[in-house]
Amino acid sequence: MDNRELWTALGMDLEKHDDFLAPVPAIFTSLFLDRPNRPKAMGYFDMIVGDVHGIRVHELYAMKEAGAKVFSTFCVYVPEEIVVATGSASIGLCAGAQYTVSSGEKVLPRNLCPLIKSTMGFKLDRICPYFQVSDWVIGETTCDGKKKAWEILNEHIPTYVMDLPQKKDSKDARLWEEEVRDFASFIERETKVSITAENLAQGIQKINNKRHALQRLANLRKHNPAPIHGLDVLLINQLSFFDDPVRFAAQVNALCDELDERVKEGVGVAPSDAPRILVTGTPQPLPAWKLHALIEQAGAVVVGEETCTGERYYKDITEPGDNLTDMLANIAKRPLKVNCACFTPNQGRMEDINLMAETLKADAVIDFNLQFCQPYGVESYFVAKEMEKKKIPFLRLESDFSEEDQGQLLTRIEALIEMIRA
Amino acid sequence: MKQAGLDLGSVNTKLVVLENGERVYSHVIPSWFDSVQAGITLLKSYVEEYGEEPEKLVVTGYGRVNFPEGRVITEITCQARGCHAHFPEYAYILDLGGQDAKVIKKSAEGKVVQFIMNDKCAAGTGRFLDVILKGLDLTSVELALATAAKPMPINSMCTVFAESEVITMLAKGIPKPEVIAGLFKSTAKRLANFVESVGHPECLIFTGGGAYYCLLVQFLERELKGNVVIPSEPELTAALGAALLA
Repeated sequence: MDNRELWTALGMDLEKHDDFLAPVPAIFTSLFLDRPNRPKAMGYFDMIVGDVHGIRVHELYAMKEAGAKVFSTFCVYVPEEIVVATGSASIGLCAGAQYTVSSGEKVLPRNLCPLIKSTMGFKLDRICPYFQVSDWVIGETTCDGKKKAWEILNEHIPTYVMDLPQKKDSKDARLWEEEVRDFASFIERETKVSITAENLAQGIQKINNKRHALQRLANLRKHNPAPIHGLDVLLINQLSFFDDPVRFAAQVNALCDELDERVKEGVGVAPSDAPRILVTGTPQPLPAWKLHALIEQAGAVVVGEETCTGERYYKDITEPGDNLTDMLANIAKRPLKVNCACFTPNQGRMEDINLMAETLKADAVIDFNLQFCQPYGVESYFVAKEMEKKKIPFLRLESDFSEEDQGQLLTRIEALIEMIRA
Repeated sequence: MKQAGLDLGSVNTKLVVLENGERVYSHVIPSWFDSVQAGITLLKSYVEEYGEEPEKLVVTGYGRVNFPEGRVITEITCQARGCHAHFPEYAYILDLGGQDAKVIKKSAEGKVVQFIMNDKCAAGTGRFLDVILKGLDLTSVELALATAAKPMPINSMCTVFAESEVITMLAKGIPKPEVIAGLFKSTAKRLANFVESVGHPECLIFTGGGAYYCLLVQFLERELKGNVVIPSEPELTAALGAALLA
């Protein structure tokens, strides 16, 4: 089956899909492929993007033919270990394209986070094969916009919602553990595979290995000169939600081996006096590359992302357990260490940012907020205060997935760089 | 040695030339949607008058990236440097330009410590005032009367909505001076909040074309409960800063 036959089988709108994908090769070439001095091991990830709606979708389709299910997620809180344990697939979904925002606005308010509108648009337009190949969407209650949008999305694809608490007290932990156990039963029902101590231990191991590989990559960015562009790491972080976890971890580790050599030889992608930027705030889902591209185009280098397409996804691993009950309890414990702005209070996030800024020797912090994201937008106040206290130059940026404001963003980023260099 | 600073703004393009630190030339022309061309014209008229090109040139402002010559520095850094030449003792700057509004905090050395700019929308920019004032077709008498008029509250944040709010008021027979006073008051309030999101200045430096609106300055002082100082030619400070950095 070639790609077009596959897309037809998945009920996609081929004409619209062609229109959506048409500009992507040129953008990807100029942002990624044309840049000098990229690590050779980026080849694997470039290949994936080169056929982003092909290779992996064929795999998922074949898995389904063999009886497995595909579960789509939008959030680092969803316990993918449980899905992987049953031999089914857990994937992230495209949510970072301006193209689908206007379709999303047919059913959603305009003044809503572009991530939610983009997601909805992908489904309504039928141009995301990952959405089309999915049996279920696994939503969560990390913000009011998503919480209510799931109800609409459920009219188009079955949507299961996990209720994430908003505080981190012991009763919240109990509620979340119950949610995780309910989710495990739901996955068992849907996949018709029993979760056992054996397959869950394997699921935990696979996802932990993926997170370890991403941690290793993140840790290499503390070196100066930076051995890899922030934009390349962002791409890897974005793909970490899509790819087969075992193969992906192996490829990330191969890249890290190459970067180890670079560090030993003192080779970098930017001069050692290039300003080092830590990006904090809301995620940059595929294919949102604008922010990193602009920062690095201005002569700085992004050394870390305190976001869900970054540190929040992989900073904590799941502790192994001796039996099924303990394993599920441990799976529930990991997400509650993640400091998302949906929690109150969220002082832990300030500690995360401080630690990252220090470890990565960041010269400045850019706090990025997707327009209309309330939790992160409000919390930006505390990030600014914290950075002032720590005397770290700080810039708050708000944007969406559109291209028009690149000039305005660049002016702000350049002024920040001048500030650092003055 | 001659140092030139060229500020390629969205509404006006400005050139300042210094010789041994003293200003020998300054000029402002409209950009007419092509600030690069305006900049070329300005430089050419300077060369015709003085018979030589400046040894050093820094370009700044909206059109800076497309200008064929000169070192590029953002208007934020240039604005801070230019204001520092006028008022080294004050830290906070509010710049109300044609396309954006910004607040800059500078250090005792005139370096940028912190800055914010308005979002991608005309609300609270010079353009906002321009659009609405043009629509009102004011006489100088009406403008003078506005100083003493009771300001009508204008609530809309958006230029388009504010314009229709103003039209509605006029249709109801509310005198123009009251509407104008309201317009400046609401803009001043928004700008004061913008300043206070960065800090609380006892004395604020106000630059950009917007600083020419006396009524806006009055309301701004009232909102901030502090003094506002304006450099002699407030639209030239970024160009001056660029020249000083050249």
